[in-house]
Amino acid sequence: MLKKRILFTLLYNDGNFMLSRNFRLQKVGNLLWLQKNYNFSQVAFSLDELVILDVTRQDRNSSKFCEHVRSVGKECFIPIAAGGGIHDVDQAIALLRSGADKIVVNSMVANNPDMIAELASVLGRQCVIVSVDVKQIGSELMVFTHDGSQQKTTLSCWLEKIRTLPVGELYLNSIDRDGTGQGFFMKMLECLPNNWNIPVIIAGGAGNYHHLAEGLSDSRVNAVATAHLFNFVGDGLENAREQLLASGIDLVRWNKRSSMELKNVIGTDGKNQEPVAEDHHY
Amino acid sequence: MAVTWCKHCLNMSTRPRITFDDRGWCNACQWMEEKRTIDWQARERELREILDTYRSQKGGFDCLVPVSGGKDGSYVSHQLKHKYHINPLTVTVTPALSLDLGNQNLKNFINSGYNHIQIDPDPGAMRILNRTGFIEKGFPYYGWLIAIQAAVVRLAVNLNIPLIFYGEDGEVEYGGSTESKYRAMYNVEYMKKIYLEGGYEKVLRESGLDDAQVYFFSFPTDDELNGKELYITHMSYFESWDPYRNYLVAKEHCGLQEATDSNSGTFTNFAQNDQALYALHTYMMYLKFGFGRATQDAGIEIRRGAMTRDQGVNLVRLYDGQYPEEFIGTYLDYYQMTKEEFDAVLDKWVNRELFSKIDGRWSPKFTVS
Amino acid sequence: MKQPAITIIDYGMGNICSVINALEYLGSHAVLSDDPDQIRSAPYLILPGVGSFRKAMEALRETGIDTAIRSAACDHRAKILGICLGMQLLGSHSTEDGDTPGLGLVPNRVKLFTSSDLKGNRIPHVGYNSVRFSDHRGLFHGIPDNAFFYFNHSYRMDIDGFTGRSATCTYGIEFLAAFEIDNICGTQFHPEKSQSNGLLLLKNFLEFPC
Repeated sequence: MLKKRILFTLLYNDGNFMLSRNFRLQKVGNLLWLQKNYNFSQVAFSLDELVILDVTRQDRNSSKFCEHVRSVGKECFIPIAAGGGIHDVDQAIALLRSGADKIVVNSMVANNPDMIAELASVLGRQCVIVSVDVKQIGSELMVFTHDGSQQKTTLSCWLEKIRTLPVGELYLNSIDRDGTGQGFFMKMLECLPNNWNIPVIIAGGAGNYHHLAEGLSDSRVNAVATAHLFNFVGDGLENAREQLLASGIDLVRWNKRSSMELKNVIGTDGKNQEPVAEDHHY
Repeated sequence: MAVTWCKHCLNMSTRPRITFDDRGWCNACQWMEEKRTIDWQARERELREILDTYRSQKGGFDCLVPVSGGKDGSYVSHQLKHKYHINPLTVTVTPALSLDLGNQNLKNFINSGYNHIQIDPDPGAMRILNRTGFIEKGFPYYGWLIAIQAAVVRLAVNLNIPLIFYGEDGEVEYGGSTESKYRAMYNVEYMKKIYLEGGYEKVLRESGLDDAQVYFFSFPTDDELNGKELYITHMSYFESWDPYRNYLVAKEHCGLQEATDSNSGTFTNFAQNDQALYALHTYMMYLKFGFGRATQDAGIEIRRGAMTRDQGVNLVRLYDGQYPEEFIGTYLDYYQMTKEEFDAVLDKWVNRELFSKIDGRWSPKFTVS
Repeated sequence: MKQPAITIIDYGMGNICSVINALEYLGSHAVLSDDPDQIRSAPYLILPGVGSFRKAMEALRETGIDTAIRSAACDHRAKILGICLGMQLLGSHSTEDGDTPGLGLVPNRVKLFTSSDLKGNRIPHVGYNSVRFSDHRGLFHGIPDNAFFYFNHSYRMDIDGFTGRSATCTYGIEFLAAFEIDNICGTQFHPEKSQSNGLLLLKNFLEFPC
């Protein structure tokens, strides 16, 4: 049975990692901070996927971003999606060669939808995640692109457009809830057209495991994402996953010990440790 | 003395006037629960009656709202003006060592459409009172704390505006005296007792300042009041107080900007950006009681449901009690102290049952749990 | 006993970085190669892949890597692991872009998940799904039944008529998730993205003889 997923989103800004509140950014720390307070080679067992987005508002340095993707992903054997300012195939390939498995595009839907088709044709559509940022204006849910600065059309119209594009997953993000810790804006899901058939990741507003549970319990949702770098620091992700599993949410239970036992196991003169089958809870 | 923490938020048993129920929940968390059952409509009616009673009958200002340009005063002003349609006069008592971000936020607030008066108490007098308060009471901006009460009261009396709206009742909201939980108004005596922790007259007397210099630091005498009544209240009595909501409203309507980095000793960037001494104030609080700004902020986040207690523990362990390194030079210059004199004040106020000195810094003997 | 280097076929498609990371984590040594001669004589080969079956076959043909792989497999008995699209390429045909022949090292066909296959599930099949094994030897040694692996694909390999060691998964329909026949192995899932289960499978690939 296909399980649901928890994605952790890192917001990268010119060498630092940020907390976003309604798309206003606060510096949290650099790679060293992330290494010390998260250490994804350990934290990966509490996650299903990582997303790393370059939200730099000034001039982006894509090779520096690729280096950061590479560093974060080291010894981290879960899928990684990377994006932010992608505008051509070479950039996408550079990210894949730095350890990303999927790319994330957002404003490209507005700027250059043909490029999405090209990316899908080169990388496969399952490699392309399209992210959509939503803000409520009056009673309407409107889509904003370019870091929330350009208002486009209604969410329903935008999703109809995306349905015609060769993409693999939808990352649906609420600007109003972003960083607030008030929970996901589930109302966005009502805008999914009938027979929507690509996987949906909901994002924006999760502060604790209750919020993640609300998202994961919804049948329209395949995965939840949180970018709350403060709230899940330390053992936050591990505790959240435990709580979710204990309350019956359909996630994989990863085993940290088995992976650690496999480190450098090849070529140790036959003294390999056989992983203990009964330890695995899958 | 065994130190304990609230089982729901992270308030410490060392906090003055804190109490715990049999679940181990502090009074701030109990109040959080109670707020869900309070008849806020009745309180809103009470507010409207008060506004009707005390508003200006002559088309002048209906009330006074102390503001700093930060989220809370901005929220109160916004509500009074746009929801209750009354005419507030906002007032700022300029702090020492005001920060650029704070100044900009105040400008943005005023520009979003408010009448405003800025009071600058004599900075020399304020400096002496701040310094004295720092040394004698462990309150780095004691002079300003007096002025935001006294100067506002003076203004209210002089302009015949009897109604003053402060933001939140910090004692009720964050875990202190619950005396005023069910009381809409308070008076100058209560102000002096709780907010100035008593002894403020002594500090004034020992400052060596004359009457003219301390005009904005002293309350009107009974003679000066001359039968005029003052009605001092908190918006948090009439509405369920939510600091994060205030931040969102201030951001949306009053031009509030955040700092680009976390503030010293915490993980937030959107509160208390107006003065450099605030970081020292929270550091002193940390040394005296064992909790700092991160604990306060975590409490707010936990109570509004944004994070669990476990998550709060991680953040408090990571950020609480940060030595305000970036401001030390500024403080020494302001107080005209040497580093040794400054450290001596820290040493005087630190609770040695909670801290021990390691490599010149006070380190906690306890672990938040 | 030092392992010889594992050769990862670099034909311009596929997330090579993660595979290299996984092999190095295990303590092995990986080299990238786009040289048919090197590939032909390598004892261990990994064929990664993401993207279009047709484009991948074109790339392999243009560089001569396709014959090198067949030669390595059939003449030199190299141990080969195809991952994701790489596994599909080992098959006979894919219906992607019409009908495209694969390397033909295993007889199975590759088809799209149709909506009647999916039975209401969304496409691509992305995330962690449980895998059932025909046995727990060789490539599958020590991996418990219903272990979870990471999938991300819209096309799948048929299980019809398959005779080797196999693993299946169900996503609306049952499909081939992994196999091992003699020296040819394939995984539809990404072992380099499947935490300890994946690492264990890679270890098995390197350690167990055909």
